[in-house]
Amino acid sequence: MVLSGWESVFFWVFGIAALLAGLLTVMARNAVHSALFLISSLVSVAALFILLGAEFIAGVQILVYVGGVMVLFLFVIMLVNVGAEEEGRAAIFNRPAQVATALVFLGLLAGALVVYAIPRGYQAMQKRDESAMQQAGARRAAEQSNMPAGATGVSRLTDDTRRVGKSLYTYASLPFEIASILLLVAIVGSVMLARTLKQEAASDDVDPEDLA
Amino acid sequence: MIFLSPILGLIFQETGRAANAVESLKHPDLSKFLVIAAILFIIGVAGVLTRRNLLVIFMSIELILNAANLNFIAFSRYLQDTGRGDPLAGQVFTIFVIVVAAAEAAIGLGIVIALYRNRETIWVDEIDLMKW
Repeated sequence: MVLSGWESVFFWVFGIAALLAGLLTVMARNAVHSALFLISSLVSVAALFILLGAEFIAGVQILVYVGGVMVLFLFVIMLVNVGAEEEGRAAIFNRPAQVATALVFLGLLAGALVVYAIPRGYQAMQKRDESAMQQAGARRAAEQSNMPAGATGVSRLTDDTRRVGKSLYTYASLPFEIASILLLVAIVGSVMLARTLKQEAASDDVDPEDLA
Repeated sequence: MIFLSPILGLIFQETGRAANAVESLKHPDLSKFLVIAAILFIIGVAGVLTRRNLLVIFMSIELILNAANLNFIAFSRYLQDTGRGDPLAGQVFTIFVIVVAAAEAAIGLGIVIALYRNRETIWVDEIDLMKW
């Protein structure tokens, strides 16, 4: 998989946008700004998914994360953190010593990964898979030449999405059902956690006045 | 002049390596996606470790999960190109990661609201009831 031309331009644009927005998420003073930067980071990562040929996942990412989770986040920020802007002078980070230690070790980790581990591992992997890659490329070229004249990129897209759905319902069907139970538990659990004493009393048929 | 040759050799090798680097920047491959995901992961971990606001810590966790998703999708594309293994397993797994992230956000934000109702704060260094 090697991108070229406009694809590589878009790769750098969205990759750097994702990193910058992620950095600003962590560093922004106001939690609302953090949430908005996180949204732009998520959208940039969705664009990278499209570059990698996973259009369905990109759509899911935007619908679920940006449309669902981040709206939830913004609601909770509005509920909880309204006074944050007034106390702008309050320290947003932990104690300097803790922050410095964390950053030094993370810097070491990042350096080792980016400079050493990933390039070396990728080189070794490429060497191992060279012949398999050539075979697969030849097979794909043969498939392309056998395609009907009307077939375009769109047919490949729908085909990929169809195969993802098929594997969700065949070999991944047990995790799929477990995920549905997990979501049900999450719904019930968050309602249980977030209700007030009054609401609890009302559901138990107790007069709220008796509790106070 | 002979003693200059190792230095010249080093210089030429370096320029060759630099040209290679520019060429590889023009044609990003799997390793560039892995680098982006690694840096995104590290930014997320830095947020979790250094921030005091509980909500921002949750957002940093979302960043970490996203970096993992990017890795899954990149390797899924690599497997499609080699024709080895199941090329779509990464995409299916990413869907599950997104589901778990959504559930985690719902539960976590419920806890945040309950906590705020009881303690009137979401700064994590003020929530030290279970710290000895």
